[in-house]
Amino acid sequence: MSTATLEPRTKTAPLRRLAALAVGAACLFPFAYLLLLSLARRWPFPALWPDGFQPDRWHDVLSGTGNLAAGFALSGLISLTVAALSTAAGYVTGKYIAYHPRRQTLLFLAYIPFIMSPVILGTCLMYLYLKAGLAGSTTGVILAQSMFAYGFGIVFFSAFWNPEVKALEDLVFTLGGSRLDAYRRVLLPVSRGPLLVCFFQTFLISWFQYGLTLLIGTGKVQTLPLLVYAYLNEANVHYAAMAACLLILPPALLLWINKRFVFNEMREF
Amino acid sequence: MFRTGHNDRPGALGLALFILIALLPIGFSLGYAFAYSVGLTGLLSEGPTGRHWAQLLREGEIWASFGLSLYVAAATVVLGVSGALLLVLYLRRPLRRGVLAYLIYLPLALPATVTAFLTYQVLSSTGYLARWLLALGLLEEASQLPGLVNDAGGVGIIAAHVGMAVPFFTLLFLHLYDSEKLDALTDLARTLGAGRRACLYRVTVPILLARARPNIVLLFIFVLGSYEIPLLLGRQAPQMVSVLAMRKYALFDLTEKPEAFIIALLYTALVLLLLIAGMRDGTVFRRGRETP
Amino acid sequence: MPVPSTSPTGHPPDQDLPAYNEPPRPKLPFSAGCSRIPFVLLVVFLAGCGRAPAPEPDLARASWEEIERLARGQTVDLLMWTGDPYINAYMRTYVIPTLRERHGITLNIVPGQGNQIVSMLMTEREAGKTESAFDMMWINGETFYQLRQIDALYGPFTERLPNARYIDFDDPFIGIDFQQPVDGYEMPWGNVQWILIYDSARVSDPPRTPEALAAWVKAHPGRFTFDTSFTGMTFLKTLLIHFAGGPGRLSGPFDPETYARHAPRLWRFLNEIKPYLWKRGETFPASVTQLHQLFAAGEIDFTMSNNDGEVDNKVLQGLFPETARAYVLDGGTIRNTHYLGIVKTAPHKAGALVVCNFLISPEAQLKKLDPQVWGDGTVLDLDRLPPAWQERFRNVSGRRFAPDRAAIRDRALQEPDATYMIRLYDDFRREVIGR
Repeated sequence: MSTATLEPRTKTAPLRRLAALAVGAACLFPFAYLLLLSLARRWPFPALWPDGFQPDRWHDVLSGTGNLAAGFALSGLISLTVAALSTAAGYVTGKYIAYHPRRQTLLFLAYIPFIMSPVILGTCLMYLYLKAGLAGSTTGVILAQSMFAYGFGIVFFSAFWNPEVKALEDLVFTLGGSRLDAYRRVLLPVSRGPLLVCFFQTFLISWFQYGLTLLIGTGKVQTLPLLVYAYLNEANVHYAAMAACLLILPPALLLWINKRFVFNEMREF
Repeated sequence: MFRTGHNDRPGALGLALFILIALLPIGFSLGYAFAYSVGLTGLLSEGPTGRHWAQLLREGEIWASFGLSLYVAAATVVLGVSGALLLVLYLRRPLRRGVLAYLIYLPLALPATVTAFLTYQVLSSTGYLARWLLALGLLEEASQLPGLVNDAGGVGIIAAHVGMAVPFFTLLFLHLYDSEKLDALTDLARTLGAGRRACLYRVTVPILLARARPNIVLLFIFVLGSYEIPLLLGRQAPQMVSVLAMRKYALFDLTEKPEAFIIALLYTALVLLLLIAGMRDGTVFRRGRETP
Repeated sequence: MPVPSTSPTGHPPDQDLPAYNEPPRPKLPFSAGCSRIPFVLLVVFLAGCGRAPAPEPDLARASWEEIERLARGQTVDLLMWTGDPYINAYMRTYVIPTLRERHGITLNIVPGQGNQIVSMLMTEREAGKTESAFDMMWINGETFYQLRQIDALYGPFTERLPNARYIDFDDPFIGIDFQQPVDGYEMPWGNVQWILIYDSARVSDPPRTPEALAAWVKAHPGRFTFDTSFTGMTFLKTLLIHFAGGPGRLSGPFDPETYARHAPRLWRFLNEIKPYLWKRGETFPASVTQLHQLFAAGEIDFTMSNNDGEVDNKVLQGLFPETARAYVLDGGTIRNTHYLGIVKTAPHKAGALVVCNFLISPEAQLKKLDPQVWGDGTVLDLDRLPPAWQERFRNVSGRRFAPDRAAIRDRALQEPDATYMIRLYDDFRREVIGR
């Protein structure tokens, strides 16, 4: 960061300032627009502004009635579970793979679920999940989403477990520490940042998942993205906008709080 | 003394678990898909046949579908990455400090479903863009606006994907800028007599692109399999691969269900080939050491 | 972009690592607590497998009282199209609470329609499931045909419902679904006729024959289209009947020759007007909901509906302008019934039977008839109802913009065999969209 001061001082051209303003506005626009749309009573073409407001849609949600509140809770439950499981399992498995002689091959395997289109994979997986009695259940959805999130976790942590970390761990052993000591005193503190980042990422992978949830959940596991789509099909843009707000506001809030964290921590492995 | 390594049991168990809950089901499912596609299984199957393969491969639809997916993926990569590059090169300072440094993170909270919805809201012929153009007198009638959603050129689909890719790559480039100490490098280049242009094209851009290569390859792969966005913003024909596969999966003519699995298999083969290619040249797993 | 990339660092960390090779190490007993985490996952996996079904007693011999008793406490999963806010509200605010209150049944609505329902049940059957994830579904001709094809329907059950005595199964518009007798395998729920909707403020004299429609479309480029889903395909069927020579020409089982003889005229007709359709016919709305939205936004001048009462319902919702009107073509339009089916492997058949019986009760049917609620035609034969109910049905008002039901009845066409519909779906893609 210190290098910033070394930058040749260009004139802060007004054009540049305008561009920055435009980019900032573009970043805010989706949120502002969706919020407005969710509050609008009617917004006929070609008006630029709604012709009135109707906040009772939000009342229903905030008071906990209606299926949006339930969808919100269900999505939260599923995503927290998926994130916790895949982060923990990815941490352990990533380590194993990182130090494995056949690292390349194993990583290739870890990538497979992660890069496949969830919908296409879902159509193929359907048979198996039905056989196992998992289709249409929250458990099944958690498991299916974990395939992707776990793969991500492995790929993510296989990069964290590098020779330096290993040297640290070995140092603990050299100094007579136990494995438990190594984790408690060195590895976990060192990996706190990445663990949180991975948790956040896998949470989002799950929080936003649509196609796979639709297929494996057979439409019965009604998470928020499914509700957003249902409202879209109902031609009810105001409800769709509100459902979209519920879907994007929590991660946006988390991002705002953790801003730098998401990217910068990653380099400090 | 070495006490960890590939003999750590929790790790091995983790890998076993991964194989159990992810790889085995996927492997089995692809096998099942193949069996279904050649009539070895399925409620309405009439015994082994290569008919479905022959029929699907003969039809132009599948090729148009793969063509469209490749085109959208390529366009997204080119536009998304260059857009992000432009932003980082032009607005690096506001992006690092001030409100913009916060705001640029916000779009990351938009999933594909919402992005598709928003894109439709803005670009459709009665959308927000048309309203503004009308209000500003740039259009006389909404129908004058060229089709930007459900259009032949895939404009809507590409716009939505680019909208998702730009913030991500902007942040990635910003971050690489620091981690690769590009400020120092360009300073060095300039002391050595390089002009601004040379700095940009010989140092900054090549390094950023090289370091971002794994992510670029992955972006391409992800767009290839995209579903929610083309579902809402695409046309009825041709459809992107995932949409086509889903349509064939739930088709009115039940005897065509095997075709859905053939599409799934072809798609899987393509993605795996891309991944292997990425792995071969070190793009995906290991970056080359291009840094001077 | 699929999900992984939607996350901030949806891509793996950009980290440079050489492959890390090392010699084999001696085995160590593992102690770290984190090794238990995989087991949690495993338990989660196994937990899902153990949903033991509790088999219901033979319902065929049970009395209705017994069925009602069995149904109490059951959760019934109903798959239905959820594309209309009024229909959803009818279910959410009336059907669900009433069932809970009177019968102790929890009705759970799962969105899904036509082909999705079939493909889901088909995959279930392929996987050899003895217990379906669903109990019942809202179906229609071609879905009924397909579900019978894969033997996924429970039945015959309709005669066992007490309220079935109000239904005239001999009425060909009720007892025959797409030329296929219902045979007790689906329960009529609503009866409707296909109509065209237009905005009288923009169109003063709407075309009343296919030929006039073609002329209108050519004179008003970009102002007409139809959806590629159920409603639009019903429109195509109406045209096909017209080109085949009128009512009755497509009755009976599917005849490939008849289809081959008349379908080309339909494709010619469509391809001729295609350049003048919305977006030059390069694309079509995927659902009737989208079609309604285009109409509401003023992008097109016509929309259509399988429900002759829909225009009132949409005006009340504020979606359509007050100037919206509906009519049927002179040559007639298709009238059909939509039904409720029960899954053969439904885990809660008793509950599903009670739900069906409630939905065809005079009370539920009357409520549904009201345009302020849904505006769906009843399947009950009014002559069979107790006089008090007859009175109430006859006095339902509220139709303002839709044509009178009795008046359009003589221009009702019967649904042709389901295979016509299935062929149209596919061939429309090949012959028109793909061109």
